[in-house]
Amino acid sequence: MYTYDINTLKALFKNILAANVTADVLDWLLQKSNFNTQFVLAPRKTGKAALQISEQEAQQLDTILPGVSLNGWTVDMLGRAYLLLELDETDTEEYFRKIENLFLAAEVNELVSLYSSLPLLAHPDMWVKRCAEGIRSNIGNVLEAIMYQNPYPQKNLDQSAWNQLVLKAFFTGKEVGKIQGIDNRANKELAYVISDYVHERRAAGRDINPSLWRLVGPFIDDKLFDDVKWAFESGVYVNQKAAALALSQSNYPTATELLNTAPQLKAAIEQKELTWDTLTAEFQH
Amino acid sequence: MCCTHSFEDRISQDKDITPIDLSGIKGMKFFDPHVHMTSRTTDDYQAMADAGVVALIEPAFWLGQPRTGLDSFRDYYSSLIGWERFRSSQFGIKHYCTIGLNSREANNEALAEQVMEMLPLFIYKEGVVGIGEIGFDDQTAAEEKYYRAQLELAKEASLPVQIHTPHRDKKGGTTRSMDIALEHGLDPRMVIVDHNNEETVKEVLDRGFWAAFTIYPFTKMGNERMVEIAKQYGSERIMVNSAADWGISDPLAVPKTAALMKMRGISDEDIRLITYQNAITAFAQSGQINEADFTGDGSTIDQSQRFEGNTVLRGGQQPRIDKNSIIIS
Repeated sequence: MYTYDINTLKALFKNILAANVTADVLDWLLQKSNFNTQFVLAPRKTGKAALQISEQEAQQLDTILPGVSLNGWTVDMLGRAYLLLELDETDTEEYFRKIENLFLAAEVNELVSLYSSLPLLAHPDMWVKRCAEGIRSNIGNVLEAIMYQNPYPQKNLDQSAWNQLVLKAFFTGKEVGKIQGIDNRANKELAYVISDYVHERRAAGRDINPSLWRLVGPFIDDKLFDDVKWAFESGVYVNQKAAALALSQSNYPTATELLNTAPQLKAAIEQKELTWDTLTAEFQH
Repeated sequence: MCCTHSFEDRISQDKDITPIDLSGIKGMKFFDPHVHMTSRTTDDYQAMADAGVVALIEPAFWLGQPRTGLDSFRDYYSSLIGWERFRSSQFGIKHYCTIGLNSREANNEALAEQVMEMLPLFIYKEGVVGIGEIGFDDQTAAEEKYYRAQLELAKEASLPVQIHTPHRDKKGGTTRSMDIALEHGLDPRMVIVDHNNEETVKEVLDRGFWAAFTIYPFTKMGNERMVEIAKQYGSERIMVNSAADWGISDPLAVPKTAALMKMRGISDEDIRLITYQNAITAFAQSGQINEADFTGDGSTIDQSQRFEGNTVLRGGQQPRIDKNSIIIS
């Protein structure tokens, strides 16, 4: 069972593919032959050029499947995604077995294609464990396929798996701002784990990623306030700015008071001159 | 696949030590077409990258401990096209592999049958540049059976073959390996005969095969001997590799051999052919090697390895640590 209009999506993908591959290759993709072989051989047929997609097509896609983007995809990835959409999803067990088998013997680019395609698959709840398994990977581009521009995790993962995803992103130096739902799915449990993590980093004398405070801000209480205050008063400007942003996310009275001691930062936040995005751009360069 | 060492081999080592001087090969690029990175540390990757190794081939081999089940093979093959590929990319080295059932484990026939059934699942994967390393170890009937079966597979898939020649009865085993390959109708230009020495090289070249030399202390070629081979036979269809693995071996064998060749008067062009180009020419017959992926020039670079057109590789690069400092932070 698809949770979106599969036929419209297939028609759109077919159009995009037609603009990116020759007619022969398109025929090869559309013919139904051995599924595994087609999946493996796709890059040899389609090539691996960056996918060309029009503004209009991108908007259509966002209408059919909000949050899904083909930005950064290569032609072979879309070819593989299309093959997945051709599978018969009505026999649930068989559908699961076929796709799971691809994961079990996948090379890196196949893994990237498969994880990037999670939001396109039928029976979304069926892939939760697979997604959590992908987060356990240490292969950087596999993690990015799950974390960046992928709406599947935020929609389907339970809280503990979600929290693992976010923590793994920090541990592996990913840009957490690219994780869909990073703010919507923030939770107190995660804020507390992050507080412990910050204490560990401080004890080790290691840098603290300013983005961490983004997940703490909305849950500031007595305990978390001390952490944010430490960052605010750390003497490192980028940390102070991050702490100010975190304070601005909180209604906790002491937090508001502390933010009021830095009227310039407060004004910058109110005027959207200082946001998590501008801050990220600043410390990642 | 490699070998065991005896202590007698190591006794006569108190000879002159020539300090490493790689300055003569600064700026050269190297391709190591046989190295078992699974058995090596990240320090080796860093050292190889620093010495100019830009790409390598990891043949599937015997892990030092026999596998007892099919899933162990599957996970091993998956690691060659998955985790190891990523590990390598973090150091800017393009990782290819060859996939096959090695000769030792061909002797477990019940398991070998299952592995043979599974191989087609892996040999068509991206970056699989051949069937290997296959051939003879003990030269048993079972080894011959699966060697032949895999030659057929290579032919069907139009993939090059990387042949491991045996340690014991090397000369006879090498001749026999080539006889069988020809019997199955393989073009010798699609076959890389590995672990050659002074005794085997002439026949291998005369019969039109590629001759690979493994620079590996105590048991295979030394690089001084390799220089002499290059002087005698030139650079046509000759390549060197390290076959570095879990034994006492050297992942810098290719750049070190290039440096020694340079010091001893081999031309830059011959060095380039022997330590870089010939391996690419031989294995690119798989259709799976795009030189631009590791030379970094041109727009044909594999875009799937980049994120949003950024020049930063997906997955990021490894930070450097100062190995000479006693401080670890």
